[in-house]
Amino acid sequence: MEIIGPVLVSGITTGALYALATLGLSLVWGSLGMLNMAHGTLLTLGGYAAFTAASQLGLPVPLAVLAATAVGGVIGALIFVLVAYPLSRRSPETFETTIMIATFGVALTLENAVLRLYGGQPLGQPLSVGGAINLGGFALPWQNLIIVVSAIALMGATALFLTRTKAGRAIRATAQNPDAAKLMGVPVARVYLQVLILSGMLAGVCGVLVSSITQLSPSLGADPMLKAFIMCVVAGLGNLPGAIITSFGLAIVEALVQFLAGARWGFPALLAIVILVLIRRPGGLFGRVEVRRL
Amino acid sequence: MKREDLAHPLVGLVVLAAAIALPFYVDSRYVIGQVTLGLFYAIVASQWNLLFGFSGVFSLAQMALFGFGGYATAMLCFYFGLNIWAAMPLAAVATVLFSLVIGAACLRLSGAYTALLTLAVAQVMYLLIVTDTDCFVMVGTQCRQLTGGAVGFARFGDLGTRAMFKAKFLVANYALVVALFAITMVFTWAIIRGPIGLAFRALRDNPGCAMARGISRFQMQLLVFGLSAFFTGLAGGLYAAHFNAIGPGVLSFSQLFFIIAMVVVGGIGRLWGPLVGAIVLVAADEAMREIGEFRSLGLGIIIAAVMVLMPNGLIGLFESIWNRLRTRNPGMTAEMSGETPA
Amino acid sequence: MVEPSNSPCLVVNGLVTGYDGRNVLTGISLSVDPGELVTVVGPNGHGKSTLLRAISGLLPVRKGSISLNGRVISGQPAHRVAANGVIHVPQGDLLFAGMSVLENLLMGAYLDSDQAAVARRLEEVFTLLPKLAERQTQIAASLSGGERRMVGIGRGLMMNGSVMLIDEPSLGLAPIIIEQIYEVIARLKASGRTILLVEENPARVADIADRIHLLDNGAFVWSGEPAVLLQRDELLATYLGG
Repeated sequence: MEIIGPVLVSGITTGALYALATLGLSLVWGSLGMLNMAHGTLLTLGGYAAFTAASQLGLPVPLAVLAATAVGGVIGALIFVLVAYPLSRRSPETFETTIMIATFGVALTLENAVLRLYGGQPLGQPLSVGGAINLGGFALPWQNLIIVVSAIALMGATALFLTRTKAGRAIRATAQNPDAAKLMGVPVARVYLQVLILSGMLAGVCGVLVSSITQLSPSLGADPMLKAFIMCVVAGLGNLPGAIITSFGLAIVEALVQFLAGARWGFPALLAIVILVLIRRPGGLFGRVEVRRL
Repeated sequence: MKREDLAHPLVGLVVLAAAIALPFYVDSRYVIGQVTLGLFYAIVASQWNLLFGFSGVFSLAQMALFGFGGYATAMLCFYFGLNIWAAMPLAAVATVLFSLVIGAACLRLSGAYTALLTLAVAQVMYLLIVTDTDCFVMVGTQCRQLTGGAVGFARFGDLGTRAMFKAKFLVANYALVVALFAITMVFTWAIIRGPIGLAFRALRDNPGCAMARGISRFQMQLLVFGLSAFFTGLAGGLYAAHFNAIGPGVLSFSQLFFIIAMVVVGGIGRLWGPLVGAIVLVAADEAMREIGEFRSLGLGIIIAAVMVLMPNGLIGLFESIWNRLRTRNPGMTAEMSGETPA
Repeated sequence: MVEPSNSPCLVVNGLVTGYDGRNVLTGISLSVDPGELVTVVGPNGHGKSTLLRAISGLLPVRKGSISLNGRVISGQPAHRVAANGVIHVPQGDLLFAGMSVLENLLMGAYLDSDQAAVARRLEEVFTLLPKLAERQTQIAASLSGGERRMVGIGRGLMMNGSVMLIDEPSLGLAPIIIEQIYEVIARLKASGRTILLVEENPARVADIADRIHLLDNGAFVWSGEPAVLLQRDELLATYLGG
């Protein structure tokens, strides 16, 4: 039974990261009906922004994290203004698919910009803490604890923002019924912009956290994004609480499979679970099939 | 027969004539090689266009099917010593079976769900191949993985063109790819114009009525998915045979989106869109060779910009310019309204 | 905001609008005076909802103009029209299904940053629709049809506007519930609200409407007082199937 400790540590840590990556992705999907293929790249940019701020400019840790947040938010805003908004105006009926292709173009561009600026070799993220707590039999690294606590704090803050503030309520209202929101005087386009900024900011911080236990590379965000896609699909696209529960659950399953069968079988196991879930429930575990945008 | 019905075959004949003429005017092996590569892309892109542009399936497993065809061809030759000419059609059939399994799991869902699942399938396939390190057989002193691992398969067979045509073998291979391209386009055209195309038009224009008449979107999509997988897999096999090598690189994200970019740039849902896109993007890729490292970056900007600025692609752009010219000269033929695809 | 009682609040002039290539309304003109309840009656699919959607800016106006308290509002996006004072209680309620009744009501007061005024209006809504006070924390999707309609109307009342557009408040409800809803509307009129109401059945609105417009095929075919319309059997038979 000595694998339970490490599996839980690894599973809950990656679960927290998946949940954070999924949160931003799901928020955007739920509000705009937009699958942002550049979400992973926002993680990458966040990681590099913190790296630049901390190691190249010598800024303190909080400022480095702030830099990552800011870069994520700005790029999120640009994606809305330059790509999503014009595309939704021009061809609303094909938006669901065209936005995926367009944001993939954005991802390709930004990822290569990172590659040109920083090179392809992996870099160490300076914002990581060494050491571990010994919990009778297995070690809980400080870094993992920091990641889990930060991720949960961020998710809690996002939940409070969405449920307790007027701006958050407007975001949920717009996601649930954009026409009715307009009738209440909600400037829907501005709400969409806010959602992409928020999602970008979350992605930026998530990138810092991911890079703190792995390494910085231009494809840093690709794996979390792919996993976030899986979580979203299993939970039902746009379902935030469902996506978070699914993230933790599946991450622990993934960690278990990786411990038992080898690292390469983690992702295939997740995929198999997804397909089985979707055959039983085509709208996802928590989703409803008839939920469609606009 | 109306004139617009003849437009596509006429364009097809012109394209074929140009393709046949090319080796008589161009001597450069490099150019022939790049055009061959472009035609491979055009074949795969045309099948993705058939899926997405005409049948509404947003699949991201297109290169996975292409890779499957290539790998199946290589493995049939490598492990079973099959002749490559026998291996290719067998591999294409295997690709169809593989696609039906993927399709049965993924196509019941709509839009984004299908895209995400097919992408995940493709990624799992890629990851399982590149992380495969277990020895399956020993070749001499070298260990070989079942899937070929990160390096893939090489020198597993030969089309026989090298022995037959000696130095001119590249042109012979080119001719084979042109032939496959021509067959693929005829097939695509037939699907779009035939009962399957009609069913999809019915599903698009009046889904309720179409379903009441017994047309199942899922079954029709699965059918097209399987049919297009045949040509995609065959192209993958011919690709492996042409280069006498196949590796996991064909399954990468960027290859997939290079294909999608071709359809987008050429024009989604336009029969000749993929070819136009393939020509433009391979040419652009060549031109950007000068700026070497910025190729992918440029490609990304092209995809995003085309999607936002001209969602109907180059062919859509030609159509709207043509329509504007025509409305300015009302005397011109009114029945030449070729803007509706097929 | 003092309005001279003789100048109309809402004026629609020569309105043409529609979907895709088709015009649904082919030149509608009407006006609603302050404190008046004007009703548009007509069979389904003849453009009643389209008229309200065009006024509130959900649907672009193709020709003609719409003005509110003397200011042109046509051409503005829906959220600007709402800010200018048009309250639209849409067909099918369009509630925020995943939100509680209270949150739905608070969304009605989205444009109002005066907390005290919002609290006061909430009290008023709860007085008028006491059922909503009981169901405050319930999720909108789990309400019955009549309760949903009340939330829709209550949400509209939370807005600070000068004219209220109400789209077929009887749609899909049992007769006894329809009666309750129309009682509420009658009380709104009695409290001096300016209302433009759309309804399929003229008998339901005969008691409360000041004027009725009969809409057929995208244009008004008759306008006048409700009592007169109910006596014109030939009109009722021709346009409303008896």
